[in-house]
Amino acid sequence: MKIYISGLYCGGNPQPGVGIARSLREGYPEATLIGVEYSNRVSGIHWQGLDDLWIQRPWNELDLESYAGKVRRVLDEGGLWISGSDLEAMWLASLFPGGHAGLLAPPPDALKRIAKPAVPAHAGLPVRIPTYVATDLPDWDLHAFCRANDWRVWLKGPYYDAARTPTWDSFVAARNALTKVWSTERLFLQAHVSGYEESVMLCAYRGELLGCVSMRKRDITPEGKTWAGDVSPVDPAFEAPLRRIVRELNWTGGGELEMVRDPGGQLWLLEVNPRFPAWVHGATIGGYNLPALLVQGASGARAVKAEARAAEFTRVVLEVPVRDDYPLPPLPEPFAGAVGHSMKHPSGLTSLAQRLHKSNPELLEIVGEPAGPAAGGKPAVPDTFIADIAAYDLETVQTPRFLYLESTASGLFKRAAERSRRLGTDEVQVVSGYSIKTNPDERLIRLALENGFYAECISLLEAQKALQIGFRPDQVILNGPAKWWPEGLMPKERLHAVFCDSVADLDRCVAMAAGDLASRHVGIRLRTPNVVSRFGIPLDSPQTFSKLVEAVGRLPDEAAFGVHFHMASSNIGVAQWWHLFESMLKWCRSIERLTGRTIEILDMGGGWFPDDWHAEDESRFSRAVETVKALLPAVRQIVSEPGKAMAQPSMALAMRILEIQEHEEDHVEAVVDGSIAELPMYAFQPHRILRQCGETGALQPLGRGKTHLMGRLCMEHDIVASNVALPEGTRAGDVLIFCDAGGYDRSMSYVFGRG
Amino acid sequence: MYLAEADKEIGAVAQDKAAAKPRPSDRWQDFPYSILSHHGRACCEVAREWVLAMDFAQLNGADRLSGPRWLRQKYEWGPSPWPMHWCEAVTRKTIDCGAHAALAHAAFGARGLTAYPTQLVQVYSEDATEQWRGKWARDDVSCHWLDGAHIYHEATALLVGDDEVKIWDASAGSWIPPRQAGGYGSLAAIRIFAPESSGGGDGLRWGERRLKPNLWNQI
Repeated sequence: MKIYISGLYCGGNPQPGVGIARSLREGYPEATLIGVEYSNRVSGIHWQGLDDLWIQRPWNELDLESYAGKVRRVLDEGGLWISGSDLEAMWLASLFPGGHAGLLAPPPDALKRIAKPAVPAHAGLPVRIPTYVATDLPDWDLHAFCRANDWRVWLKGPYYDAARTPTWDSFVAARNALTKVWSTERLFLQAHVSGYEESVMLCAYRGELLGCVSMRKRDITPEGKTWAGDVSPVDPAFEAPLRRIVRELNWTGGGELEMVRDPGGQLWLLEVNPRFPAWVHGATIGGYNLPALLVQGASGARAVKAEARAAEFTRVVLEVPVRDDYPLPPLPEPFAGAVGHSMKHPSGLTSLAQRLHKSNPELLEIVGEPAGPAAGGKPAVPDTFIADIAAYDLETVQTPRFLYLESTASGLFKRAAERSRRLGTDEVQVVSGYSIKTNPDERLIRLALENGFYAECISLLEAQKALQIGFRPDQVILNGPAKWWPEGLMPKERLHAVFCDSVADLDRCVAMAAGDLASRHVGIRLRTPNVVSRFGIPLDSPQTFSKLVEAVGRLPDEAAFGVHFHMASSNIGVAQWWHLFESMLKWCRSIERLTGRTIEILDMGGGWFPDDWHAEDESRFSRAVETVKALLPAVRQIVSEPGKAMAQPSMALAMRILEIQEHEEDHVEAVVDGSIAELPMYAFQPHRILRQCGETGALQPLGRGKTHLMGRLCMEHDIVASNVALPEGTRAGDVLIFCDAGGYDRSMSYVFGRG
Repeated sequence: MYLAEADKEIGAVAQDKAAAKPRPSDRWQDFPYSILSHHGRACCEVAREWVLAMDFAQLNGADRLSGPRWLRQKYEWGPSPWPMHWCEAVTRKTIDCGAHAALAHAAFGARGLTAYPTQLVQVYSEDATEQWRGKWARDDVSCHWLDGAHIYHEATALLVGDDEVKIWDASAGSWIPPRQAGGYGSLAAIRIFAPESSGGGDGLRWGERRLKPNLWNQI
C-alpha cells in the first residue's frame, strides 16, 4: 500500500504530515509512506519514517495542470493521499469535485460549508461562533466593531495568520500586511474569546465518522499552538451531532474543530480544518490512531490496533540527519541593512492561494456575513453633517480649514441635556459636564452653557475662559494634576467641585480650603487599578489604599465629598468601560465604609466615541443611575462627562488636493494641503471623508481603495488617510472634507510647515 | 485499549490497594483549613476591602467564574507564619497556600459565587519536599504540611452548577484537572468543606467523580 502524505513543515507552527506518517507507521508497518512537499527547505522531508519523497517545485512555479495529471495517475494506480495542508486540500477538491477513492480529503461542497468564520456546517453542535465582521466594511464600522469588543479582537487571514489588533494603528498595519501576503482584502475581524483551547479531531470516509477524539491544550507555543495536551473521548452530546454533520457533508479525510471553552463552560468554535491537526500523533499515543482508522476505512486493510500509552503527550525538539539526496539549501541573504532572513511560506502557499482565488473567487466569500453596510461600501454620513457642510462655499474656502457644523453641534448638546434630564430622579440629579480641553472653541462652550452643562476644567486658564463665556463659578469643576496652574487666576467665588489628583494635591487642597479655596464639593480622583493610567490617586496596593483612606479623613467637613474617575471608553471599549464603572462604585463603597465620609457627587467620564455615547441604549444609563443609588445612597448629583462625544462630530476639516500621482497596480498617492498637524488623531481613529464633486457640487463619501492621501508636510509619516478610493473624476483642486475632526484633532492641532 | 477502559482497571487496582495501606491523607485527618484572622480594627478592614474591590477590578469584564489569577501574580507562594491576619497577609510578598486559598475564597464569595474551602494531598518527591523543608525552616515556619513525598495543600472549590465544582489552586494560578493520572504533582486526596446535603447527598460532582463533602476522598 502506498500512502502519499503532504504538509511536512515542522517549524514552530507545524503541519501534520510527520505526525500522520508516525501514526501510519504504527498502524501499517509495511505500508510505503511517501512524503509530498513543495520545498526542499521544509525540515519534515528528512523524517526517517518516510520511505520515499515526492518533492515538487514550489506552488508559485508549479504547472498545476501537469501536476494534476501526475496526482491523478498515482491515485488511479491505487495510491492513497492524505493532505496536510488546507490550501492543497482545496486544490485537490477542485481537481476531483466528485471525489476519488484514493483521495482522503473533503469534497468541495464540504469545504464551502466549513468556511470560516461562520462555519455554516456547525449547526447542531453545542458551540457558538465568536462575533465577526469582514474587513471590507468601511473603516468607521470596523473601528466600531473593535470598540464594541473592547479591542480584544483578532484580524484573521482567509486561510492562515491571525494578529491581535488592540489599537487602531496596529489594525491598519496588520491589515496592510495580511492583504499583501494573501492578495486579498477579504480578511475578517473576530472577537477574542478568553478561555482554554481544546479541539476535536475526526476522521471519516464518504460521510461515515470512523473515529474522533478530544484534546485539551496543556502547553502552548508563543503563537498559541499546541505543545502538549491531553486526549480523551469526545462527549457523546458532541459526537452525535458531529456524526450527523459528517454524514451531511459526505466528509472524507481528517478534520479538526478548533474551539475555546470559556470560564462558564461554553464552547466557541474558531474554525474547522479540512485535515488532521499537527498534534495527530499525540492522540495516537493516547490510543486514538485516526490516520490508521482512515486508511482502514478507505482500503479495507486492517490496521494494527492502537495501544494507549499515555493520556497526555508533549513535544520535544529532535535533531535528525539530513537526507543525502536533499542537502540543505543555503540561507537566503538578508536584505541589505535588514535583520533576519525572510523565509516564511517556503513552499509558496501564498501563491497557491492567489491562483485559487483567480480560478475560484467564491473561495473568498465570507459566508454568513452579518447584515451591514455593503462590502467595500462607503460609511454612512449623518444628514446634518451634509447639510452643515453644504452651507459653506467650499470653492472659496481657504484650506486647510476647520468647518464648524452648527446644527450638528447644537443637536448633540440639546440631546445630551435632554437625556440628562430624563435620567435624573428626585433623589439624584444627573448633569453633563463639558470637557473644555476636548475643544475650547467658544461656540461649543456657549452651547454647553446654554444646555445646562457644567464646565470641566483642567487648568485655571480653562476656568477663566468658562467664566468669560458666562459660566458661574458654581458651575465650574476643577480636576487634573495641574488644575492650579497658572497661579493668580483662582476664582474668588465658590466653585462647584474640586477633585484631587494625588494625596499631595489633597493635602494642598486641605491647606487651601483654610484660605482662598471655596468649593461646594471637594473630592478625589481615583486611578483605575486595572487599566494603566497616570491620573488620580492609585489603588494598586493595600498600603496606597490605606494612605488614601487616611487622607480622605483630612478633607474639610464643610465641603461635601465626591469621587471622580475617568477613562477613555474609545480606548478600552464600551463593555470594559461599564465594568470599570461598576468596579469604581465598589471602590467608592469601600471608601465610604472605611472613612465614614459619604459620597455626594460622582463625576465620571469620558472619552466616549460619539456613536457609542449617542447611540447607547438609554436603559443602560438608567440602570447605571439605579446602581449608583443602590450602592451609594448619599449621592445627590452625577456629573456625566462624555468627553469627545460632544466635540468630535461638531467640526470637519476641509483640505484641497494639490496633486495626484498614479503608480503601478492602480495605487495612487494624492498630495493634499492638510496634514497631520491639523489631524493629529489620524492614527487613533478613522475619519469619514467626503469629496465635493467638481461638477455637481454633491458631497460624496469615500470608500476603501488604493489611494493614500499624503499630507503637505515633508514628514515621512504625514499620511492623513490610507486605502481610500477617490471617486471617478477627482482632480487637483478638489476639496476633501474630513469629518469627525472636532475633538482632539481640533484642540491638539498645531502650526507646522507654514513658514 | 481505549484510555477509559485502562483508567477503570487502574482505578480498581488502586482501590484494592488503598484498603490495605495507610492513606496519604491520614496525617491531616483532623487538620483544619486556613482562616485569616481579623484584628477587628481598621487595619484588617482596609485590607479586606482592598482585596475584594481589587478582585472585581481585575476581572476586566471577564466572566465571574474566572479564577483570580491576579492574587498569585501579586503574592508569591512561599512560607508564611500562622496565625495570620488580613492586614498581615496583604502586605506580605510571600504567602502560603492556606493564605492564597483564603483570599481566593473571599474573592469568589464577594463576586456572589459559592465557594468551599478545600484541602488536598499531593504527590511530589522526597527531593522536592526536602527543598521545601529547608526553605520553610530557614523562615522558621512549621513544616507540618510535608510528609515524605506527600504534601498538604489548600485550594478553593467553586460551585459552577447545581452540584458541580471546579477546584481553583490559588497558589498555582490554575484549575486542577479532575482527570488525574498519578505521578509528580498529582492529587492523592481531596476534602471539600461543604454542606452535607451537597448533590442531594451524593456529593459534589468534579469531572467524572463524586466527592463526599467534609471527608477525605482518595483519588
